[in-house]
Amino acid sequence: MAALILPAGLLVLLLLVAPMAMLFRISLNEYSPTQLMLEALQPGNYLRALADPYYQGVMGTTMTVALSCTVICLIIGFPAAWWLARMDSKQKSLAVILTVFPLLVGNVVRSAGWMALLGRDGAINATLRGLGIINEPLQLLYTQGAVIVGIVAVVAPYMILTLSAVIEGIPRNLEEAAANLGASPLVAFRRVVLPLAVPGVVAGSVLVFILCMNAYATPVLLGGPQFKMMAPAVYDQFVRGTNWPFGAALAFILLVVTLALTVLGSAVVGRRYKAQ
Amino acid sequence: MIGRRAMLGAALAAPALAHAQANEVIVGTWGGDYAALLASEIDAPIVRPLGLTPVQELGTPAARKTKLLAERGSRRGSMDVVCLGDADCHAMGELGLVEELTPDKVPNIAHVLPALRSPFTLPHIYSVRVMLTNPAVISPAPTSYADMWAERFRGRIGISDLLYASVMEVAALVGGGGESDYRPGFPKLRELKALGARVYSANETLAAGLKSGEVAATIMWLGRAYMWRRAGIPVQAHFPAEGATPYVSAAVVPKNARNKQAAFAYLNAMLDPRAAQGFGERMGYLPTTTLATLPAPLLAEIGVTAEQQAKLRRPDFGYTARNAAEILAFWEREFKA
Repeated sequence: MAALILPAGLLVLLLLVAPMAMLFRISLNEYSPTQLMLEALQPGNYLRALADPYYQGVMGTTMTVALSCTVICLIIGFPAAWWLARMDSKQKSLAVILTVFPLLVGNVVRSAGWMALLGRDGAINATLRGLGIINEPLQLLYTQGAVIVGIVAVVAPYMILTLSAVIEGIPRNLEEAAANLGASPLVAFRRVVLPLAVPGVVAGSVLVFILCMNAYATPVLLGGPQFKMMAPAVYDQFVRGTNWPFGAALAFILLVVTLALTVLGSAVVGRRYKAQ
Repeated sequence: MIGRRAMLGAALAAPALAHAQANEVIVGTWGGDYAALLASEIDAPIVRPLGLTPVQELGTPAARKTKLLAERGSRRGSMDVVCLGDADCHAMGELGLVEELTPDKVPNIAHVLPALRSPFTLPHIYSVRVMLTNPAVISPAPTSYADMWAERFRGRIGISDLLYASVMEVAALVGGGGESDYRPGFPKLRELKALGARVYSANETLAAGLKSGEVAATIMWLGRAYMWRRAGIPVQAHFPAEGATPYVSAAVVPKNARNKQAAFAYLNAMLDPRAAQGFGERMGYLPTTTLATLPAPLLAEIGVTAEQQAKLRRPDFGYTARNAAEILAFWEREFKA
């Protein structure tokens, strides 16, 4: 039976593990402005990135944006997922298609839409000015808020679909039993549905959090030139600075931080609900 | 089982295959207009009649540089001609990865404008860095780079993020430094930031700013100004009194190119005067040789006078390569922060 994972395992080994190992090797090299890099085995790139207040700031922004997006997705995604899970089968397939619909549009195209909406002369500013509510255009684009809104719109479907799959597995009659025993819908949700949906909450949050930590197109396009998250910073080091070793070190720091926060988050949430 | 006919066929095909490879010239280049113009203005009318078959390999300059570096140990490289910007060509030359170009290999090189000559680089087309204004918004126009630091430009200078190295060089000139010393530009950039200069993430957003009047002046390539005017963006170009700096779109031949003779023939064709007009009209770029002339109305828009040409500045690619990390760090952390 174990042989069944062989094809997928080989693919992962070839296309993921091998390039990652190469990237890790590069991260230990030394940068050379003329030779691209010099062979070395030294942790200097990691130490520099970790000690640098600039990259600490970039990592802070990245974590803030990723956490905010995950929480927002959870808050707006749970009701939608519950509604989707408890829907009649006829309309359900249509609702699922509508949920997935935003994913059919590429990130860049979607961001262009947000730019048209949020820009200085965009639809929102034009409307507010037309109605006489404001005189000067509001700065909506190129803000952290714009990035969060843009990313939430990208990742929300992942959260909704993951949650709804888990909620579907919670028998409906448990909610009815809770109601029979006198629980208000809110109490039934808090004490029955939510604890049983924890695996979905964890899975959806992990998925969304990882996507947000690694977001590239949306922060670049909606955050503007002054806003920096980790993925664009990694790109800058590789392409603009041609400093591959440092870029590789930044990429691994992003990977480790994302992994650590994901494991920590899942453990905390899991333990809390197991205890109940 | 391999039959007699198949064997015969294979035997006949083998020399033909070898012949095809001998005539192929692999050209690593940008996509878009540039690749299309190479195909229509150079490949079809000039290179193919020589019996050569150009094959384009499209990609980013970063990918081409990486390939050159990665293949440096191998005997047979994957590209015969590699199109890159002037700074990248210089860097590849410094590393000893590309052939030195002389008139006996590429005869047309003898006609290249003296200001654009470089031992390892074939300068194909060029434009110069100038100041652009929206004349409806600001008047009088700046006459020197230093003028852009005046109080009347407060909050009205726009800068493309893609041109950060150019802007840092300009600031260095204004601050009393130069192409070989950007440091005096750092305090000038702090001044420019205090004057409310805005950074735009793409040339297109900068163009929109110029059109709406949000941006009164910027630093840009003359060829781009020509394209913008054609797109209905009202910009006027002004040559800086300090002298304009050229940007040369160039090409090199790797030392391990498989088909060097074909590559040299291709470079020679790139300088053929017949190809110049297409690149001028569609991209706003000038020919680099004295052989080619463009129609007067086009020259009026994208051209450089003899006097301006005499004042062209020379970038110090060695300095920018050695200090690339410091230059980018200042831009990202201080100017943009």
